[in-house]
Amino acid sequence: MAWPTIDRNQPAGDSGAAPLLSEAVREKIRSFFARYETKRAALLPALHIVQDALGHVPPQAMVEVAEVLDIAPAAVLDTASFYTHFWTHPKGAQVIVVCRGLTCEVLGGNAVLEELKRLLGIDEHGTSADGRYSLVTEDCLAGCDHGPCLLIGEKLHRRVRPEDVARILADPDNGRLAYERSTLFDAPSSAPGEPGAGNGTGGVHEKGSG
Amino acid sequence: MPRIIIDGRPIDCREDISVLQAALDAGGDVPHYCYHPGLSIVASCRLCLMEMKVPNPRTQEPDWSPKLLPACQTPVRDGMEVRFHSERVRENQRSCMEFFLLNHPLDCPVCDQSGECWLQDYSFKFGRAESRMIDEKCKNPKKDVGPHTLLYQDRCVMCTRCVRFTQEISGTSELCVVNRGSRCEIDAFPGKPLANPLQGNVVDLCPVGALLDKQFLFRQRVWLLTSTPSICAGCATGCAIWVDHNQGTLWRLRPRYNPGVNDWWMCDDGRFGWRYVHDGKRIAAPRVRRGSEQTTPDWAAVPQLVRFRIEEHVRRHGGATLAAVLSPFMTCEEAWLLIRVLRDKAPASTLVLGPVPTAGETRHFPVGATGNTVKFTIQAEKCPNRRGIELLLAAAGGNVLTFEQFAEQAGKGEFKGAWIVGGYPQPWVDKATAKLAAQFELLIVQDIFENDLLPGAAIVLPACAWAEREGCFVNARGLIQPFQRALNPPAGAQRDGQYLYEIAGFQGLYSGVRVRAMMAEKIPAFAQLHEPPPMPRHAH
Ligand code: SF4
Ligand code: FES
Repeated sequence: MAWPTIDRNQPAGDSGAAPLLSEAVREKIRSFFARYETKRAALLPALHIVQDALGHVPPQAMVEVAEVLDIAPAAVLDTASFYTHFWTHPKGAQVIVVCRGLTCEVLGGNAVLEELKRLLGIDEHGTSADGRYSLVTEDCLAGCDHGPCLLIGEKLHRRVRPEDVARILADPDNGRLAYERSTLFDAPSSAPGEPGAGNGTGGVHEKGSG
Repeated sequence: MPRIIIDGRPIDCREDISVLQAALDAGGDVPHYCYHPGLSIVASCRLCLMEMKVPNPRTQEPDWSPKLLPACQTPVRDGMEVRFHSERVRENQRSCMEFFLLNHPLDCPVCDQSGECWLQDYSFKFGRAESRMIDEKCKNPKKDVGPHTLLYQDRCVMCTRCVRFTQEISGTSELCVVNRGSRCEIDAFPGKPLANPLQGNVVDLCPVGALLDKQFLFRQRVWLLTSTPSICAGCATGCAIWVDHNQGTLWRLRPRYNPGVNDWWMCDDGRFGWRYVHDGKRIAAPRVRRGSEQTTPDWAAVPQLVRFRIEEHVRRHGGATLAAVLSPFMTCEEAWLLIRVLRDKAPASTLVLGPVPTAGETRHFPVGATGNTVKFTIQAEKCPNRRGIELLLAAAGGNVLTFEQFAEQAGKGEFKGAWIVGGYPQPWVDKATAKLAAQFELLIVQDIFENDLLPGAAIVLPACAWAEREGCFVNARGLIQPFQRALNPPAGAQRDGQYLYEIAGFQGLYSGVRVRAMMAEKIPAFAQLHEPPPMPRHAH
């Protein structure tokens, strides 16, 4: 069996290029310093800022973050690789996360995943040719009571059927969360004890996937 | 002093230690991976879990707590009672060991760690013979993480000792844990490999065969090695070390626990700087020159010969024209014997401390540490025994010069004979020194490699590398540290201690202990040796 050895003496491909982080991004990271006792503590905000600015956090950006925070690049890699939220290679404009938890799978999650793969023409961890979507799976999206679930951007789509997938993909707002307000909250006195007040979740589903 | 009860046995322990350390100190064998007394405590491996008595919330009576607790993270408290000999503790140990082996390739036959591996030992003693895992094992790639170090990731148990070492001891933070959960790996940032001068220690720290020393890789099975306690001759710190050797060949050096001096560590300069010991170009036989004729005398004739030449010189030119240059690579015992020989024959002779090699600045670790935060020091002074020689010169009194003063006076022709001791691993004879030596009528040179002094020498005696010597060195802090001989000198050579002992008129075998006893009568300091305590038997 060929058994590769990864050579850590070699820098990552993109090193030596021009700096990736603009002065504005660096300044934004520094603005978090005042909140914490150590600069190191600003690492998570820094990673978010970088991913928002660049779309992902490549090795060269980690080195630059390490410089700004005055820590070792390995410490940035440690944290960035812990959270699946952070991408070390380019991702699509939107990330679709399909739940592969037990409940979603029993409720037909696999068929949804297959349909996504078919329509996007990619496999898990892939990015569609038009750069619009990347596809990944996660262990649980905490929507077990409404499976199968998938998450696009901030929005959780619940009770998704394979036939819904094309519609969801076409929706330009499929990743934006429209906050639902319960009727109780909006008009607590006008509709006391109305049976319709409790069925908000169904509404979420309809609006969410529609 | 807190007294705690471990498995029904009352134990008096040190303050401010963990129950695990107390159990190990008391000779117990509690399996552990992530705990190391020199590093911070993370309690992540869960192998050391124990049962502890806590007050039952209903009755307030002490009772075994329903939850197992990590012994490494629980500080000792007077009166506490814990136990390791219980079915629940054993079941946890069995389960942990099964877990550590889930993805382990079980490649002991080709693994360097085999024989000193805590996965092997703990599996044997605390493990389950069978794994219930039926899925395919993860195969992780190897990683080249530094100039001296390889990482076989698939053998790793994720104790993070190595990561904490680079964070807390070397202070260079090159290693990290990447990914999460079952995909965890140890890694270095691409292009920022282990580059610190203490990196060899991560190989010792790694309880399994994951981190390996490239130089030692596939060289020896460790059960063939004999470990001899020694002191590193690389710098004035004087780290206690083990010399691991097999049939006269040195294979590796490892640090030996020495609290307050090197603790559990040593530097890479010392660890990897022993290759010269087996250099084929070493001087391996005595040489005697009369005019242009050079012979190799029998060792038995050497003492008489040397004594005769010195006596002859003193008769002709007087003892005051004779000098001895003592090397900071000699042991105190050897230096004492040489001083004795010279001062015996020529009381007015001059004693000189030879050149003291230095390299750069003294470095403290973790990088940037000062004062109390210093955990390890590499001295700029690259020899083991300057202070020992100075101590002996001060005790000897009479004419004592620095090497510069000696060179200056010798340049003016004030010396007609000299006994010069080298033994430096690096070339040390510069043009000026060689020129000085050329003018001596009697030149005795004791050295390890050929150099420009030798052509003019009347007598050349082979010098030993430190691993072949026996005696003591005095380190930068003035601690007198004795050590044993690990190797025999190259065939044809004799130990410095042995021939100096005979030249000084003693019979029989040289022994550091015997000579030290004689020295201590004259110089009481030599009765106060610094000998570190051993590590607890089951600690690592
Ligand atoms: S490489 Fe060795 S020391 Fe480092 S985490 Fe793995 S087992 Fe522990
Ligand atoms: S949890 Fe105690 S030694 Fe690892």
